[in-house]
Amino acid sequence: MRLTARRTWTAVAAALVLVTGLAGCRSEETPPSGGGDGAIKTDFGVTEEPCPNAIDSNKGCIYLGIISDLTVGPFAPLAVPITEAQKAFWNRVNKNGGIGGQYEVDVTTYIRDNKYNPQTHNEVYQEIKPNILALAQTLGSPTTAAILEDLKASSIVAVPASWTSLWNYEDVILESGANYCIESMNAIDWARSARPNIQKVMAVHYPGDYGDDAAAGARYAAETLGLEFVDQRTDPGQDKQDGAIAAILAERPDLVILTAAPAETAVIVGGIGAQAQQSGYAPMIIGTSPTWNPALLNTPAKPALEALYFQSGPWSSWGADTPGHQAMRAELTPTPDPLSDGYTAGWVWNYPLKAALEKAFENGDLTRAGVLAAAQSLTSVDYEGMLPEGSGNYAGGPNGSMVRVTTISKPDASAPTGVSEVQPLTAGPTASGFQAGPTACYLS
Amino acid sequence: MSTSTQEKPASRVPATTRARRRPFGRPLLYTSYSSEMALFNTGTKKLGITLLLLLGAAMPFLLPDRQLQTLATGCVWSIGAIGLMLVTGYAGQVSLGHPVFIGIGAYTAAVLSGDPNGRTLGFGIEEIWIWLPAAGIVAALFGILVAPLATRLRGLYLAIVTLGLVFIASYFFAAFSEISGGTNIGRSSATPVLFGERLNVSGPMFTRDQKIFWLVFVLLVIFAFAARNIARSRVGRAFTAIRDRDIAAGVMGVNLARHKTVAFGVSSFYAGCCGAVFYIVTGFFVPEKFDLEMAVLFIAMVLVGGVGTISGAIMGAFFFAFLPEITRRVPQFIPFISGSDTSTPNVHQLETVLYGALIILFLIFEPRGLYGIWMRIRNYWKAWPFSY
Repeated sequence: MRLTARRTWTAVAAALVLVTGLAGCRSEETPPSGGGDGAIKTDFGVTEEPCPNAIDSNKGCIYLGIISDLTVGPFAPLAVPITEAQKAFWNRVNKNGGIGGQYEVDVTTYIRDNKYNPQTHNEVYQEIKPNILALAQTLGSPTTAAILEDLKASSIVAVPASWTSLWNYEDVILESGANYCIESMNAIDWARSARPNIQKVMAVHYPGDYGDDAAAGARYAAETLGLEFVDQRTDPGQDKQDGAIAAILAERPDLVILTAAPAETAVIVGGIGAQAQQSGYAPMIIGTSPTWNPALLNTPAKPALEALYFQSGPWSSWGADTPGHQAMRAELTPTPDPLSDGYTAGWVWNYPLKAALEKAFENGDLTRAGVLAAAQSLTSVDYEGMLPEGSGNYAGGPNGSMVRVTTISKPDASAPTGVSEVQPLTAGPTASGFQAGPTACYLS
Repeated sequence: MSTSTQEKPASRVPATTRARRRPFGRPLLYTSYSSEMALFNTGTKKLGITLLLLLGAAMPFLLPDRQLQTLATGCVWSIGAIGLMLVTGYAGQVSLGHPVFIGIGAYTAAVLSGDPNGRTLGFGIEEIWIWLPAAGIVAALFGILVAPLATRLRGLYLAIVTLGLVFIASYFFAAFSEISGGTNIGRSSATPVLFGERLNVSGPMFTRDQKIFWLVFVLLVIFAFAARNIARSRVGRAFTAIRDRDIAAGVMGVNLARHKTVAFGVSSFYAGCCGAVFYIVTGFFVPEKFDLEMAVLFIAMVLVGGVGTISGAIMGAFFFAFLPEITRRVPQFIPFISGSDTSTPNVHQLETVLYGALIILFLIFEPRGLYGIWMRIRNYWKAWPFSY
């Protein structure tokens, strides 16, 4: 085709039309200007329009995101109850007037599945990021580590569904409860009080932040108490535990700190239990909190679990008698079936974020930076009794914000969540004396 | 009509091949070899490419960051697709092993520019003009190692053997957790710093996504021109000869082994550079991603885009980069496909099915791919209104 002058100019004009047509798109980048009520500053994730399923349609809406392992990852049996409990928690907040009596909180519109994969987690996070004020849940330690830089750069506060010690060092992360490092220390202290002749401790753990953190805590406690320590890594997957079982039987530790997911727990404890019959070797096995699921009592590993297994946890289980637990049971009616402490965890985790949002509202600044500043200034959070007074001291730095109390429980088929407490929220001597180092447990 | 000849002053280029200004109004008349072989031998092509480059450079001012990320992904995938096009589309060596070289490039770049104090191996050399060519060269070396397979095997067997490489590499990526972070844990990607300017951090004037888009756009333009020049050079003609009838090419004097090695080497260099910038947009990657699905994705880009053309590779790559945007809108029109992951069927399953379905449909109905569709449109309008 001949390129005449006319055709050239037609092409250039068409290109300019296309350019001006697209030029409007970029202006949507800037956040909506501050809310209708001139007193409260907002940027992302806060609207004056009511929430989609608002209880009171005169209030505005704060949007929070949830990124969890809802389908195929190893923690899906826990993650789904966690998410349900969070929805119930914020529903109760909305029924009681919302934040400052002016905003209700929506946690249902931006729920995404991360398949426990850091890359997927990152992708869905980028997808919901422009529409949310903060993250009400980001499940998994390696997955949250993948978005941590972006969270910090964008001042987005996030509630982790995990307890790694790294969170005590990160301002944007609102962790609750003792981290895995402290949990292992308390577990070893309790085990020695129950069985004073423990000489050898073995940490069987997932690779990555979750498992390495618990193993680091176990190593520290073992070194402090003069016990022998063995480290054993194991990969996710029920079919991949032969190496761990063989290592336990070869090393014959008196105490095993197990940091994996419920599926692997059944395989490992069942395997050791089978050997215990024949050889008389019966170690004490204490599992870090995400390692347990009540459904394990319906597996063939049940006798072994009842004989050998204990469970450590950051707070008391479902049936405990505190104002917070009662409110949770009242909100989650009828009692969910199957019941697990995923519901308890999902409920407890929200208190710091609620406190931060309320404080930010009082400061008149519901922007992301405002919520972050409010969270960093909290010296204590009211957990309605589920955690001791003085918990949630985010202003206190890594050492001050570290909660040192954990519980120890035993599998019990008659209890509502399959475990009954043998030691309430207590801080062992090792954990009490532990001074937080310059970085997280597993990095030092 | 007068023709004005441009004389190159005292040059050694003979008069018959010197590029001469073409007479206006005679689009099929070429009076010199150079002007016929030129990349943009018609005025329309010159105008078109200028507008396209200007439009591409202007995109960061027009589109929001979310779409820029998709465009940047398209540019990055284009570089990989061009690499695969050179070895599969031009040289005819079917290679399902592209993810191996992409992964090698990604990890070389990430290790060179990684944080020395982090959990994974890193040397802290963040300047992009160091780690990008290094990633390409390391991947090219592995490609040259793999090339002898192609000299012994053809077609389907080469495809299966290169697929085997993907599984071997998957194992190594997962096992080398100092480099890759380990299964399901992963590590952060390469850090792009250009003469001190951090490209993956939003600055006062431009956001992170704008800077990354310009980076990959410039890289794409450079790599596309280089590939186009390879394709129309002597080496490129040897490639097409090998693809069409390799025995006949060997009889004519084309050194099969050498050219197949060059094909794998160059294609792996492209794959390595693609891998190096692949995950800069998301910033984090896990070793399980360099698997069969990625191999099929790149083959789909090459086949759907149009075998044997560089523009086809680019079109195929952008098509698949924008495919998730399209499938995400599907639940509005077809209600029983849900947008959430927890029900079946859902949009992610639809996307995976589409990869295979599109390959089949394009091979049956439009074997020349998207480039073939473009050719049909162009030829229709070329002869319009006499397009019968």
